[in-house]
Amino acid sequence: MDEVRIGVYVCHCGFNIAGVVDVKKVAEYAKTLPGVVVARDYVFMCSEPGQDLIKEDIKNQNLNRVVVASCSPALHEITFRTAISEAGLNKYLLEMANIREHCSWVHHEKEKATEKAMEIVRMAVAKARYLEPLEELEVEAKKSVLVLGGGVAGIRAALELANYGFDVYIVEKSPTIGGKAALIGYIDPKTKGAEVVSKMVEKIRDCPKIQVFTSAELVQLTGSAGNYVAKLRLNPRFVNSRCTRCGECEEVCPIEVSNEYNFGLDKRKAIFIPFKNAYPPYYAIDYRVCVKCGECEKVCRYKAINLKEEAKIVELRVGAVIIATGYDPYRPFKGEYGYGLSPNVITLFQLERLLDPESPTKGELIVGNKVPKSLAFIQCVGSRGTTLGAKSYCSRMCCTTAINSAIKIKEKYPEMNVYIIYKDIMTYGSDESLYEEAGKKLINFIKFEEKIPKVTISPEGLFIDVFEYTIQQEIRIPVEAIVLSIGMLPPRDIEELIAVTRVSCGGEGFVREAHLKLAPVEAPTKGIFLAGCITGPKNILESIRMGSAAAAKAMSLLSKGKITIEPMIAQVDEERCSGCGICVAVCPYSAISIKSVNGDRIAKVEKALCMGCGTCNASCPSGAMQHLGFKDVQLLAQTVAALRGESYG
Amino acid sequence: MAEKPKIAWYWCASCGGCEESLVDLAERLLTLFETVEIVFCPVAMDFKKEDVEKLPDNSIAVTFINGGIRLKEHEEMVKLLRRKSKIVVAYGACSAWGGIPGLANLYTLDEILERKYLEVPTIDNPKEFLPAKKTVVSIPEVNMKFELELTEPLPVLRPLDKVVDVDYYIPGCPPTPDVFWNALQTLLGNNLPPRGAVLGALWKSLCDECPLNETKPEKLLVKEFRRVDRTTPEPNKCLLAQGFICMGPVTRGGCKALCIKSNMPCTGCFGILEGVVDYGGKAISYIGSILDYSPMQEEEIRKAYDKIPDWVGVIYRYTLPASKLRHKVGLEFPKLIKEMVEL
Repeated sequence: MDEVRIGVYVCHCGFNIAGVVDVKKVAEYAKTLPGVVVARDYVFMCSEPGQDLIKEDIKNQNLNRVVVASCSPALHEITFRTAISEAGLNKYLLEMANIREHCSWVHHEKEKATEKAMEIVRMAVAKARYLEPLEELEVEAKKSVLVLGGGVAGIRAALELANYGFDVYIVEKSPTIGGKAALIGYIDPKTKGAEVVSKMVEKIRDCPKIQVFTSAELVQLTGSAGNYVAKLRLNPRFVNSRCTRCGECEEVCPIEVSNEYNFGLDKRKAIFIPFKNAYPPYYAIDYRVCVKCGECEKVCRYKAINLKEEAKIVELRVGAVIIATGYDPYRPFKGEYGYGLSPNVITLFQLERLLDPESPTKGELIVGNKVPKSLAFIQCVGSRGTTLGAKSYCSRMCCTTAINSAIKIKEKYPEMNVYIIYKDIMTYGSDESLYEEAGKKLINFIKFEEKIPKVTISPEGLFIDVFEYTIQQEIRIPVEAIVLSIGMLPPRDIEELIAVTRVSCGGEGFVREAHLKLAPVEAPTKGIFLAGCITGPKNILESIRMGSAAAAKAMSLLSKGKITIEPMIAQVDEERCSGCGICVAVCPYSAISIKSVNGDRIAKVEKALCMGCGTCNASCPSGAMQHLGFKDVQLLAQTVAALRGESYG
Repeated sequence: MAEKPKIAWYWCASCGGCEESLVDLAERLLTLFETVEIVFCPVAMDFKKEDVEKLPDNSIAVTFINGGIRLKEHEEMVKLLRRKSKIVVAYGACSAWGGIPGLANLYTLDEILERKYLEVPTIDNPKEFLPAKKTVVSIPEVNMKFELELTEPLPVLRPLDKVVDVDYYIPGCPPTPDVFWNALQTLLGNNLPPRGAVLGALWKSLCDECPLNETKPEKLLVKEFRRVDRTTPEPNKCLLAQGFICMGPVTRGGCKALCIKSNMPCTGCFGILEGVVDYGGKAISYIGSILDYSPMQEEEIRKAYDKIPDWVGVIYRYTLPASKLRHKVGLEFPKLIKEMVEL
């Protein structure tokens, strides 16, 4: 190794650091450390003049290592890496000493904070002595994308990607794609949800680039951007494409369960078609409820049913993953505004089904056996902290959907008294016209504030007691039907999603974007993108747009067919590796395998799959596995420095 | 005829196995005696300390020292031999890293003396005599008095290289005849390896030469640890994969997997690999890594670890004094050793 020549740069960060830490003292101390040839302090190291200081020293003082004592590497490591590489130094010969987040921001006692800053610098210098130049690697990236969730966001993303020539795999948990949008009667005054979805599905059907896996789940995701390995479990559907939808099987099926596709308005059999335009367009058996009596198999004339079918595991290699697994509707508890106590209290989603011409009532608004003469929507059920257990956010789509439906109802039943009992009307943007239209249609808007409305169910009928905020008066409204405008919840199985994809959640339980403004649609893990309601409530339009955005991001990542990966990954010293295989078992990314090299068993790291977690490094019994940038010698030097030891060895 | 190179052997805290390993050279011993002159070897020849003192400095070609440094006498002798020798070789696990006697570093000397002289079920010491620096034995019947002076024990056992500079190491408990013979050829030849090298053994860990390495499953994970004194391992299947704690992955190879071939897991006597800072630390890291439970399953993990009663004895069997731990903290000089005892 050439003579180590380290430059140490202590940043004031304005008063952020210098207000607590004696930066001059830290710089003076740094000069006394072995290998340090120059140490300076400056008001903002990250500024142009600050960076120039480093660059000039590299040239004039022949530095071959740089330690910057400033903020977290998360903030400025890239800045300083770029700076030193502009001065001709390999950018991995930089070590950051975080004396802001780890020191000045969390301490007040100047003397002790200064002492700690000196220790942090000492450790960084000790490690810097052993830094090595590293080269970034370029690996091939797969031009294929896994889309999780077959709702409108996922479908849109898939179509965009396929148009661009990418191979797309849609993985949908339920037996059909289409998501909840397919179940919404009218998404605007003229458009039926089912129509929009079936148009999108038609395109998918005709597109050879898109492969759809229904009744499928992602059970494992390994690898990294450009080279993910996705393991899918294809749950048995028991019915294959020979099915002609004759429906004889459905008649003989003895199992009846609540029909989730009509939000519990009716029942369905264990063998069923989710909805008219479901895709793939044939029957499915709900493996969770089927008792395998075999009746359907007996009556099927087309040999389309095979009850012996078992779950299959499929492995796909993809360059990126788009998560678009949507949301769950809010689940009102029994008795919330009379929910579950009267057949005349329904949810907004149930209403949407009733208004759909394909519904069990053929589009007739029949609530509790008849068309009601009066109907009230109660808004913000489960949203905006309105009711007990409600989420704090606005679910964004309920106001528009409720008003849109109210207008539809008024058009069909002009005599019906329709009330919308609301907190605030959130018909933002162009949806405001719906609000105006509703006024013209003589829909009654009744506003409440802190005091939430009370629903009374009595033999005389349903009553809503509400303190009308604008007239400041308690009023009692008799109605024949109540619609609860329920909001959105994170999907029930989000925990599994997090476990498999390692995305993270925000406070409300939805998946978090890396940065709402600077890295929208991206998950913190490179190569994972987010679309639709998985990141929080959205209306259908917004979800579709986010699908397009996610697709665009995935394309820009993969379009070159190559991807640059960090060199700070595991590396095997083949001279030392005995092929014991411990690392293979512990690698969470399946990046290591044992290969035979000239008859010797040796561990091999698949660079594209290694995420640099260091697990193999820690478990390697012989020290053959080293983590570049965090080698044993580097970390031990740092540790010894922390313990005030003289040297490592 | 050119003068034969002078060779010396010395024993410190050892069990005698290293000396046995010399005998195990069998007919090769004859060749050895033809090529070298043995100037000091307490186990077999009657030379005294004075004989060594009389030798000129650096006159011994190679001195092999086995056993760890436990007594003042050991310390004095190895310093003397160092002065007289061109090359000093730490012979066997105890000399190199402390070995099994090094596990006594987990106890204070007082605890050791009490156990050894008072508590052990096989001891017969009704008057509770303990060794002293000077023991005076009077025999009134013949009106005679004998005095025995014993060397003092040191508070901890140290490997040879913590006391004198060591040129080379020969691993094993004891070193196998082949390993020793190969090392001897190297030492007496013209191409000496760099100082500090381990002679006669492999650069890689035991798995490299283990015949069972091929039988490992793709993912080496176990649900429980087993002990050979409770269960007989299945032959011809990686012992670690069966749950028997095998130190092969962390131990230097070169023994030709003798224990494994007898269906016994490696206990680690060939010691520390280059690049490993702490043998036991590395061992427990990989043992912990192959235990197939999620971090949440604390109960199961505890149960698995409780199957092994003496973890230090497993992961530091031969290397405790050479580890980062070295010994129990707060060792004082023993109170139990008296200046003089009269019997």
